Amino acid sequence: MLAQKLHLLRHNVLSFVSSRTGSDLTRRQYDVIVVGGGHAGTEAAAAAARLGAETLLITQKIMTIGALSCNPSLGGVGKGQLVREVDALDGLCGRAGDWAGVHFSILNRSKGPAVWGPRAQLDRERYRQFIQSELLSTPRLTVLEGSVDELLVSQPNPEEPGHHRVTGIRLVDGSHPILSSSVVLTTGTFLSGSLFMGQTTSPGGRMGDAQSCAGLSYTLKETLGLRVGRLRTGTPPRIVKESVDLSLAQLQAPDKQPTPFSFLNTHTHCKPEEQLPCYLIHTTPGVERVVRESVHLNCHIQQDAKGPRYCPSIESRVLRFPGRRHQVWLEPEGLTSDLLYPQGLSMTMPPDVQLRLLREIPALHRAEIRTPGYGVQYDFVCPTQLTPSLQVKSTQGLFLAGQINGTTGYEEAAAQGLWAGVNAGRTALSLPPMALSRTQSYIGVLIDDLVGRGVTEPYRMFTSRAEFRTYLRPDNADLRLTPRGFEEVGCVTLQRYKKAVSVRDGLQEALMALQSVALSSTRWREKLGNISLSENKSTTLNGLDLLQYKDVSFEMLASVFPECLSQYFEYSQRLKIEAVYRPHCEKQSREMERIRREESLSLPSDMDYLSLPVSLSQEVREILDRVRPNTLGAATRLPGMTPAGIIHLLNYVLRTGQRNRHTEHRNRSSQKEGEKGQLCASNIPISQ
Amino acid sequence: MSPCTWGLWRSAIHTLKTFRASPSARGLCIPTRAVCDAETIFALSSGHGRCGVAVVRVSGPASSMVLRNMAGLTQALPPPRTALLRRISDPQSKELLDRGLVLWFKGPHSFTGEDSAEFHIHGGPAVITAVLQALGSLEGVRPAEAGEFTRRAFHAGKLGLTEVEGLGDLIHAETEAQRRQALRQMDGELGRLYQDWSYRLKRCLAHVEAFIDFSEDELIEDGVLNQVDSSVRQLETEIERHLKDERRGERLRTGVQVVIAGATNAGKSSLLNTLCQRPAAIVSPIAGTTRDIVETSLDIGGFPVLLSDTAGLRDSSDSVEREGVRRARQRVEQADLTLVVVDSTQLPPDPQLVPAFLQEYLSTVLPSPEAGMKAASDRVLLVLNKSDLVPEEQRERTEGELREITGLPPACFLSCYTSTGLEDFLTVLQSRVKTLCGDPLSGAPSLTQARHRAHLQQSVAALNQYHQYRDQDLALAAEGVRLALTHLGRITGRVGAEEILDIIFRDFCIGK
Repeated sequence: MLAQKLHLLRHNVLSFVSSRTGSDLTRRQYDVIVVGGGHAGTEAAAAAARLGAETLLITQKIMTIGALSCNPSLGGVGKGQLVREVDALDGLCGRAGDWAGVHFSILNRSKGPAVWGPRAQLDRERYRQFIQSELLSTPRLTVLEGSVDELLVSQPNPEEPGHHRVTGIRLVDGSHPILSSSVVLTTGTFLSGSLFMGQTTSPGGRMGDAQSCAGLSYTLKETLGLRVGRLRTGTPPRIVKESVDLSLAQLQAPDKQPTPFSFLNTHTHCKPEEQLPCYLIHTTPGVERVVRESVHLNCHIQQDAKGPRYCPSIESRVLRFPGRRHQVWLEPEGLTSDLLYPQGLSMTMPPDVQLRLLREIPALHRAEIRTPGYGVQYDFVCPTQLTPSLQVKSTQGLFLAGQINGTTGYEEAAAQGLWAGVNAGRTALSLPPMALSRTQSYIGVLIDDLVGRGVTEPYRMFTSRAEFRTYLRPDNADLRLTPRGFEEVGCVTLQRYKKAVSVRDGLQEALMALQSVALSSTRWREKLGNISLSENKSTTLNGLDLLQYKDVSFEMLASVFPECLSQYFEYSQRLKIEAVYRPHCEKQSREMERIRREESLSLPSDMDYLSLPVSLSQEVREILDRVRPNTLGAATRLPGMTPAGIIHLLNYVLRTGQRNRHTEHRNRSSQKEGEKGQLCASNIPISQ
Repeated sequence: MSPCTWGLWRSAIHTLKTFRASPSARGLCIPTRAVCDAETIFALSSGHGRCGVAVVRVSGPASSMVLRNMAGLTQALPPPRTALLRRISDPQSKELLDRGLVLWFKGPHSFTGEDSAEFHIHGGPAVITAVLQALGSLEGVRPAEAGEFTRRAFHAGKLGLTEVEGLGDLIHAETEAQRRQALRQMDGELGRLYQDWSYRLKRCLAHVEAFIDFSEDELIEDGVLNQVDSSVRQLETEIERHLKDERRGERLRTGVQVVIAGATNAGKSSLLNTLCQRPAAIVSPIAGTTRDIVETSLDIGGFPVLLSDTAGLRDSSDSVEREGVRRARQRVEQADLTLVVVDSTQLPPDPQLVPAFLQEYLSTVLPSPEAGMKAASDRVLLVLNKSDLVPEEQRERTEGELREITGLPPACFLSCYTSTGLEDFLTVLQSRVKTLCGDPLSGAPSLTQARHRAHLQQSVAALNQYHQYRDQDLALAAEGVRLALTHLGRITGRVGAEEILDIIFRDFCIGK
C-alpha cells in the first residue's frame, strides 16, 4: 500500500492536476460539485466519488489542496476518535496521517482505552502530496482550479415559498455554468473573511490566498435567506528553528512504537527511530506585560466576534488567567522544514510586537519569525438550518461542511466533509439521505450537536460530549462503522469491508472461546499465580470475566489454555479492552435504544409551531420555532422542553401521519417524487 | 406502541434513514435483547388521605421476583388476575408489614403490557411508607417517574389513538404535581442540601472531564484528581449518613397544600380563622397586617389539608413586607389549591364588568397567567369576601352573571364576619380537596421519600464505581460520577454536557 503510494508520488503529480482548467473540462454537468479543497472538501469529494457519483472539486489553488493551514498535527483526545471513524468509513485523513506523520503518540495512555487520543505531528509537504495523489487516483473525480462566483438555485416553487433547489455553480471567469444535482460548500474561513494583524485589516480567509466568496455569501444570505453568525480564530507566527535555543526547552519524545491511525495500516510511513521530537516551553511574566502594553494596537481582540474558549490566543489566555505560566509546544513542521510551530502562541498584534513577545521566553530570546501570526474573522451559517444529512433544510441539494458550520479543527471538518459528501452523492443518485446516530459514533454526536443545538463559539470535539463514550472507542470504530458503510451507505470499498468483517468474526470467535474456558476462582489463582479476584472461592469464572481484572492479560489466559486461545493473539489488546468495557456498555444499552428510537422520528421542517393546534405552552412553541429540531430526539434534548410537550408533538405527528396516508391514498397519481413534508418514519423495529 | 401503529408510521411517510448498526454488525458491545432488561418500577396508585385500602403497582421484568419476595410465594405464582390474601413482609428483614391482597398480571395482559403486580394494602401512612421502602430496597426496582406507567403502556401499544390524545395532559398533570412537590421540598433545608451535593458533584465531574480531555496539552494541576478523590469520599459519607438518619433532616409537610392569597385587607386572615375556627392569625383593619406565612393543619371532609395564610400582595416600600410578599408568591406557586380572596366592596357595581375585573385580579395573584385559565381553574377558588357589605340585589345579579361566564374559576360570596355563605363555600372546597387527594402525587411524602432514598442509594453506589476504577480506567471512573449526578439530578433537575463544559472553562485555562 505505502510502496504503491510512493511510486505515484515520484511522478510529477502536481503539474498533472493543475493542467485541468475550466476551459478544457470534459463535461458541463456533474452529479456533485464540491467547493473548497481543505479537509472537509477533500473528504467530501472523495466520498461522493466512492459512492459512484461523477464529482467535480473546485478550488482556488490546486497547490493548496490538502494544505494544513494551521497546526501541523492530526488527532488528539476526542479528535483522534473522529480520525479513526473517518478512516472506518474509508475517508482519507487517517491514511494521510500515517503517511505524513513524523511524531506519533497516544494521548491519555494512562486514563483508559475509551479516551485514548491517537495523535501525530505531520510533515506538511507529505500530507499535501498524499491527499493530492489520492484525489488524482480516485475514479470519477475531476479537480478544477477556479473561483466560484455564484451558486445557481432554482426559483422557489410558488406552492412552497422559500424552498429552492440547487442546479449548479458559475465560475468567476464568467464561463458557462457547471450544472449538478448537489453542491457541497466547504469554504472554511473564506465566507466574508477578514484578516487581522495589529491595526490592519484586509479581506481574505487565509494569508497569501485570494479573497473570495463574495458572490457565494450573497446567494446564501440574500437569495436563500440563511442566518449567519460571525466567529474568529487565529494562528501563531512560524519560527525559524535555527534561531531557537532548544537547550532551554523540554524535550517531548514520541511513542517508541508509532500506532497508525488507519485500520488498514499495520505501521506508519515514518520509521520509529526517524520520528522528530516536540519541545515544551512556558510563558513568562514578560509575555503578559507585552500583551498588556499592546492591547491598544490589537484590533482583533477588541472586536466581539466569538472566539473559542479552548483555543484562545495568547492575548486572551493571559488576560483571562493572569499571573500564570502557560504552556507552549514547539512542534516540527516536517522532516525537511526549517520552521517550528509554537502551539499556544496564536496572536494578532503587530509583527514587531510579536517578535518582542516571543523574545520574552528564554528559549526564544533570539527567535526569528518567518511569517507572523494573524487573526481571522469569518461568517458561518447557523447549523440549525441543516438536516442531519448536512443538507440546508430550505435548499434541496445544497450541503455544508466544516468551518462554514461553525466548527474548528481539521478532524471536525473531515468528519462533516465525509458525511456531506456521502449525502450529496446519495441525493444525486436518487437515494434517500442518511443520518448517523449519536449512539453509534462521534461523527453522529458532532452533527447532532450542530444541527440540534447550534453553536455559540467554534465547536470542537471533546470526549465529554459523547454520552456513550465507553462504547464509542477508537479501538472499535471499524466494527461500529465499516460494515454498514459498505452495506448501506456505499462509501466503503470492498477490500476494507472484507478486512473489517474478518476482524469482526475473529473477535466474535475469540470472545466465545474466552467464554468457553471456565474455572473456579481458586483454580484460576493456582494457574495464574497471585492475582486478586474479588469473587469467593467456589465461584466459576470464565475467561472473559477474568479478563476484566486489571492485572489479567489475554496472554496470561492464553498460556493457561493455549490450544483454544493462542490463535487469537493478534486481537489480544482489543479483547482486553472489550472485556473491561462490555459490562458498562450493556448497562447503557437501554438508554442508547431510547435515544435511537427518538432519533428515528423526524419532524417536518416546515411545521408551524406557533399555531400548531396542540396544547403547548408559548415558551415551548418559541423554542421549537427557533431551533426547528429535525427529530423528536433533538427536540427532547432542547433546554426548556417538557415531557408533556414531547408527547403532544409525538401525538400530533402520529395523527398527521395517518391523515397524510389517507390523502396519499386518494391523490397517489398527483404525488411527486421527493416531495418534502416527510413527517416521521422509522426503520427501527420498536415494540418488542 | 403497537407494531401496527409503527407500520402505519413507516408506510405513511418518507424515511430519513438513520444509519445504525444492525444486530449482526453491532460491534461487540451491544447485548441481545434478552440481556437488555427494562427496569422495574413501582408507585402508589391510589390517593392518600383517609382511605381504607391503598394500591401499590409494580411493573417490569422483576415483578414476579418482587411478588415472590414480598408475599412469601416460594412456590408457583398465583394464577394471573386472581386476588390472593397474603402476609406482606420486608424482603430483607422478613418483618411483617401488612396483610393484604396481591395480584399477578403476566405480560402482555396488563396495563403496561409488562409483567406487573399489585399490592392492595391498608391505607395508613405507616403501612404505605413501609411497603414502598421495602420495594425500593430490592435490586433493579425503583420508584416510577411521573407518568411512567402511562408512558410504558403507550409504548407497549396499550393505549389507542384517542387515549394518546389525553396522555400529554395526563403527563403534564403528573409532572406538574411532582414539580410542585419538588418545589416545596427544594424550598427547605432538604432542598438546599441536595442542591449543594449536586453542585459539588458537578464540579467533581467537570474536573475529571477536564483532566481527561485537556491534561495532555494543558497545565491541569496534578492535584486536581486528588481533590476530586477527597470530595467524592466526603460526599459519599454525607449521603450515607443522611440515608441512615431516620429523621432525614426535616419533616416533609403532608396533606393538600391550600394557600390563601389576594390583595391587602381582602380578609385573608379572617378566612383562615373562620376555616380553622380559632383566631390563628391576627386580623385588623390595617392593610399589611399579615407579613409572614401563617400555617395551620386542618381536616376538611376527612382529608388532611395544610392551610397557609399569606401577606397581602401589594408593592410596598417596607422591606419586611416586601419579603412577606415574595414568600406569598412563592407559596402560591407551590400550592395545590389557591383560595383567591377578593374584597366584594371593590367589585364594579355593574355586574357585566365583574368578570373582566376578576380576570385582571387573578392575573396579579397567580404566578403565570400564561399557563392558561384552564389548568389554573382546577386549582383556584375565588372567594368574594365581605358579602355582607354588598347590597343584596347587586350580589344576586353578580352571582347570576358569574354563573353565565366560562373561563373563570368558581366564585363564592362569603362573609367571614357573619358566616353567610360559609356552608356553600365549604361544599365547593371539600369537593376540590377530595379531587386533589385522589391524585396520588399531590402531597404524598412517603412516595417522594422513597424516590429520594432510591436515587440517593444509587448515587452512593455509583460513587463507589469512581473509587473502584480511579486508578485503572478514568473513563469508567468518570462514568461513576456522571451516573451519581444523574441520580441526584432526578431529584434536583437534570445536568447537561454543556453545563460541565462551562465549569471546565471557568476553572481552567484551556489553551490547546
